[in-house]
Amino acid sequence: MTNQEIEQKVKEILSKKLDVEPGKIALETRLAEDLGVDSFGAVELMFEIEEAFGLKIPDSEIEHVRRVGDIVTYLQGWLEKQPKA
Amino acid sequence: MSGRRTVVTGLGVIACNGIGVDEFWRANREGRSGISAIDAFDTTGFASTIGGQVRGFDPARYMPADTAKRVDRFVHFGLACADMALADSRLNVAAEDTERIGVIIGSGLGGLLFHEEQMVAAFDRGLHRINPSSVPRISPNAVASQIGIRYGFKGPNLVISTACASGANAIGEAFRKIQHGEVDLCLTGGVEAPLTPFNFAAYCSMRILSKNNGQPAEASRPFDATRDGFVMGEGGAVLVLEEREHALRRGAPILAEVLGYASNSGAHHMVIPDAQGTDGARVMASALRDAGLSRVDYINAHATSTKANDAAETKAIKLVFGADAHHIPVSSTKSMIGHALGAAGAIEAVACVQALREQFIPPTINLTHPDPECDLDYVALHGRAAKIKTILSNSFGFGNCNVALVFAAPH
Repeated sequence: MTNQEIEQKVKEILSKKLDVEPGKIALETRLAEDLGVDSFGAVELMFEIEEAFGLKIPDSEIEHVRRVGDIVTYLQGWLEKQPKA
Repeated sequence: MSGRRTVVTGLGVIACNGIGVDEFWRANREGRSGISAIDAFDTTGFASTIGGQVRGFDPARYMPADTAKRVDRFVHFGLACADMALADSRLNVAAEDTERIGVIIGSGLGGLLFHEEQMVAAFDRGLHRINPSSVPRISPNAVASQIGIRYGFKGPNLVISTACASGANAIGEAFRKIQHGEVDLCLTGGVEAPLTPFNFAAYCSMRILSKNNGQPAEASRPFDATRDGFVMGEGGAVLVLEEREHALRRGAPILAEVLGYASNSGAHHMVIPDAQGTDGARVMASALRDAGLSRVDYINAHATSTKANDAAETKAIKLVFGADAHHIPVSSTKSMIGHALGAAGAIEAVACVQALREQFIPPTINLTHPDPECDLDYVALHGRAAKIKTILSNSFGFGNCNVALVFAAPH
């Protein structure tokens, strides 16, 4: 999966979950301030991302996520560490 | 407030750090934790693997073997606590008008253990193989009904389900029913048996349980800067509440008085508390008004050991008492017993009554790293002897259900 594909997939998940047009979600969009995601919303969102990508995201990572780009960067880093098929 | 006063004449309690009032209170006085690695089910792969599991509890000691076999664990707790409380209050049921005796119990989750077992059976063997006793075992009101059936109490019989405020809510409503003359005596409290695989996994996935799995006894650390979530517990408590004249006439032991109660809703979110503490402050202020007090000698806090609750509750206490908040001891018995959800408020009510009787404030154990956001007198690490005439006890539940109770020494 390319970085662009990851970004696309994250935006799709966000758009569907939050009923926001995909065009309005950018890497610098802030989850809490711009999209109204509260602390529990963030937990729910991470669950959907875990399901979509098939990984477990530790609590410590959730605490650091402020912007959409933070999720994408984390997923890119995680993917790079996966054994190549 | 009406002329009818409500007193506590009996206590029964089951918690992970003690079964029965004496054992439970000794553990609370001494600051002994009952948290351990859960072995009620396989926790492999769970983020949290610790809990306030009740050990050494034999339901058959408190109820007929036939009943013990036919009810869920949450009803075991209820029947056993009711049995202890009635014995403690020395009630001669045969001499009472049983239509004037109510049963009001809190439970957030009902008969989960049996429910989950039957779901597994349904998947394994098909839906036509469901146990016919499923409905009466799983129903949350099974606990109040079974207590009513056991002793023949024919007054109002209900279960209140307001998540982690259930037990306190039940006590408050029982208090009102006595105050308003609907009943003369009421068995009330809360029970919960939430240490089941599905339920525990569900709380894990909310990421609100402590993951301090290596040090179970230190995992529940309310108000501490390093707190990382609550520790789920199980158990129950039942109190005999009684109209004061009724208690005096039969020469019942009067352990404490219920002076005030209030409940409200934050009406804002299913699981996130109001960060500013305004809902909590509002419910405390209402309960104080109900009790005719402006101050108390001790606060038994809800204090779950989550980041959000403990900071918001501290703010709430300051909103109510202003600068005086720093002079009122506040402690969290959940530091020792974890959070028994719908039973918590009732177990804490027993701790409050004992604190009044023994003039001793149980500690908040594990508070070793002060949190700048939590700066009250939390009776850290060691309990303390103190002159206590009045106590405020808070309970806050998911769904923004808030309850405050006020207890007083008999006078």
